[in-house]
Amino acid sequence: MSVIFRNHVVTAGAGVKPMLFGHGFGCDQNMWRLVAPAFEADYLTVLFDHVGAGKSDLTAYDAGKYSSLEGYADDLVEIGRALGVSGGVFVGHSVSAMIGVLASLKAPEMFESLVLVGPSPRYVDAEGYHGGFTAAQIEELLASLADNHMGWSAAMAPAIMGNADRPELGEELTNSFCRTDPAIARQFARTTFTSDNRADLAKVTARTLILQCSDDIIAPEAVGAYVRDSIPGSEMKILEATGHCPNLSAPAEVIAAIRDFL
Amino acid sequence: MTGPAVEDLQDLYENAPCGYLSLGPDGRIVKSNRTLSSWLGIAPGDLIGKRLRDLLSIAGQIFYETHFAPLLRMQGFFDEVALDLVKADGQPLHVLANAAERRDAEGGLMFTRVTVFRATQRRRYERELVDATETAQAQSRLSQGQLLAEHEAAELREQFIAVLGHDLRNPLAAIDGGTNLLMREPQSEKSQRVIGLIRGSVLRMSGLIDNVMDFARGRLGGGLQLDRSSKLLAMTLEQVVGELQTSYPERQIELNLDVADEVVADHARLAQMFSNLLANAITHGATDQPVEVDALLDGGELRLSVANAGPPIPQEAMQQLFQPFYRFNPHSRVRGLGLGLYIASQIAKAHGGRLDVASDATETRFTFRMPLAEQPA
Repeated sequence: MSVIFRNHVVTAGAGVKPMLFGHGFGCDQNMWRLVAPAFEADYLTVLFDHVGAGKSDLTAYDAGKYSSLEGYADDLVEIGRALGVSGGVFVGHSVSAMIGVLASLKAPEMFESLVLVGPSPRYVDAEGYHGGFTAAQIEELLASLADNHMGWSAAMAPAIMGNADRPELGEELTNSFCRTDPAIARQFARTTFTSDNRADLAKVTARTLILQCSDDIIAPEAVGAYVRDSIPGSEMKILEATGHCPNLSAPAEVIAAIRDFL
Repeated sequence: MTGPAVEDLQDLYENAPCGYLSLGPDGRIVKSNRTLSSWLGIAPGDLIGKRLRDLLSIAGQIFYETHFAPLLRMQGFFDEVALDLVKADGQPLHVLANAAERRDAEGGLMFTRVTVFRATQRRRYERELVDATETAQAQSRLSQGQLLAEHEAAELREQFIAVLGHDLRNPLAAIDGGTNLLMREPQSEKSQRVIGLIRGSVLRMSGLIDNVMDFARGRLGGGLQLDRSSKLLAMTLEQVVGELQTSYPERQIELNLDVADEVVADHARLAQMFSNLLANAITHGATDQPVEVDALLDGGELRLSVANAGPPIPQEAMQQLFQPFYRFNPHSRVRGLGLGLYIASQIAKAHGGRLDVASDATETRFTFRMPLAEQPA
């Protein structure tokens, strides 16, 4: 089966140099719709959905393969190989930042530069490491997802109605964005929030930029600093944007920071 | 002059039947209403400056940041989102929330307005739905397991019956063959009588095995299967009479057959039923009186009856006669499984007919009636 179909890969842009964008836990490639178009003049932009999210092929979901981030990184490498990516740029948000790190270790020639937006190599605190969450808090999250009552009622299917204020958002997007199969979302949450890839950071050879939001509960500033200190030669840029999704809340700031870096 | 009462908008905001919350561009609370404060048990002043996520549990915060915050940014609104706010006392406040962004002419975010509705009952209902779904799924898995177990048990029984039939019939066939051989040679009168008794026992045992197998098959899989053919009924009946007469040469059997035409039926099954009825009449009836067999094709119906003299069957026993494993005289010297009449009635039923019994001081008569199908010309 084609990885292009499996991961709903969408390419655009007039450039030659490939620039891939990976979305985080909770949403799909639409996460990038305010950022990616800014690079279409100079790059070949590549958007995709992780298997289990968005318009990916849900039948390709394999609980065993995707029980670790390695499975997602293998997919990213396959996408890169299918498109002949070499010396490209990878922009990864949230968990996709670490997926990009792992992919760059598996295929060092593929990405010359990594942009990690809100990365975290480990969400759970450990001795000498501040991840931002206690193991009990992560367990509470996973249990409440398993419990299935948080947000899965009408919440995942926002009202089917036009959005007069934002006509650029078609009804299709309005209805599908952030909707996921609950069982897959639970497993993706477990894979994401129980991951520990701290040891992989030191092996990264690509040029790396860390975009750190202010006031991000998912990936606090201390975690961003840890990533910066662990990846040789990496630099960190603190954004004024708050929250965990600057690519949506402050796209201009994100675009400018990436441009500066590249 | 008093006009219609004018709504007090300030009061509507503060004491609305729902909670209001306004967030500034930085996501911090700039205004909230009294209703929400009282639900949360947090004074309005203490809410100012907090972020929406500060009112959520850690798990709720993660979910909010990864799902609803991007949804709000993408769409400019979200509707009917289930949130669990944390009250001042630490208890959850189950709510449904709608949110909408208010932007200025340049598209800059001014406020995010959130309306909150209590949804405790609804949450409980959803919780019950989820539980019910899980219970139903578990039960479905369980009953599938049971079905599988029953299927295996049924297969085992089928095998048991097949083995039973094979293993019991083979030695019986050997005994039958042996007595056949002996009968062709000159024997003393005493030997001949013994051979006759052996053959009677073989016949009875063969019938018992047939009954057991039929019973088991009938019970396990959709009743008796018929293999119909068109034959002269007289031949079928006379063969059965011949067999039993050989085994009970001292008994008198009166045959009144008015069945000149061929009958479409499973003749082997009819013979089995008739043999059961006739053997019953011979073994239970008065030994000094003849057994009477009447067969008649009349008005589109076959009537076959077997009658014997002797003490009548008690009224209370009549109800039970056709039940499996019923023996109305357990102390009878004639032992059986109590399946003969049950199977006879099943054969009658399979032919679209029925088996009845009438018993008084004069006689006990079993009558089989069966509608005749289109007979060949």
